[in-house]
Amino acid sequence: MTKLDHRVQGVDHTAFPTFDPAGTVRFYRDVLGFPVVHSICAAGWGPEDHPDFIHFFFDIGNDDRIAFFYYFGLEPVHGHRRGDVYAGFGPEVPEFFVRSRHLAIHVENEVDLLEYRRRLDVSDWPVEMQIKHETIESIYTHDPNGYMVEFTRAMRPITPQEDLDANLTVDALLDVVDEGEPTFGKLLARKAELIVERAAEWEPAQAESRR
Amino acid sequence: MTTLYVLDVPENTPLAKVAADDPDVTVGRIGPYFEIVAEGPIVIDRRATGCRHAVWYSSVAGVSRGSRIAQHDKDALRVEPA
Repeated sequence: MTKLDHRVQGVDHTAFPTFDPAGTVRFYRDVLGFPVVHSICAAGWGPEDHPDFIHFFFDIGNDDRIAFFYYFGLEPVHGHRRGDVYAGFGPEVPEFFVRSRHLAIHVENEVDLLEYRRRLDVSDWPVEMQIKHETIESIYTHDPNGYMVEFTRAMRPITPQEDLDANLTVDALLDVVDEGEPTFGKLLARKAELIVERAAEWEPAQAESRR
Repeated sequence: MTTLYVLDVPENTPLAKVAADDPDVTVGRIGPYFEIVAEGPIVIDRRATGCRHAVWYSSVAGVSRGSRIAQHDKDALRVEPA
């Protein structure tokens, strides 16, 4: 495989619908202190049923942005109590799945993590969990739209061997998915083979690239 | 033969150390991985490693064919010949 050069520069914006612009602005601007940096007031265009809308953006650091769509006159699209305003789930959907999708915002250190914890804890959206995963520490809450938001800090820098390991994991995953009836056991067996094939030659290659 | 691979990152080193305490277990290296090998089972006591959940349950990088994980819970990781 030819190596493709990597030209992208992070998240321009990620966008979510909201039915509660007041709560959304309170949460992101007034509680968290994320500046409003851009907005679009648009008369509905294109398909005839497209409502007029406001598209508004908050800076989440690094010039990256989170954006929301508020559609005038649009009623909530589902009546489920679980999930968020975009996607609702019935009781048949396991909780781990409902909680899987989230936005994680990076902070530099523990001081900054605790500062966001402090801001959230005095608001209507206090921190629901603070977890040290041993290599990272995170706090979690849900925004007024039900979207899960995480703040996270790294407790140590990522090492180069973790990138190798991630690549072996992904290659092993594709192999066992392709094989059919994938299991964790099959993945670990395939990954062991890839470690034997590729890990030994990785260190000299690393040393070479450092020169 | 039982072979278990563990990535060499700071929080995994206690795992390799505890494994090496068993005289029947050999801990070698292949690239940035610990290669933990035994004729029979490899048993690593979680409390002896001091690892907590996130690291403990994601510490296994690979298990060679011919070996299988028989136990991986809050007490121990046990890999044995399949």
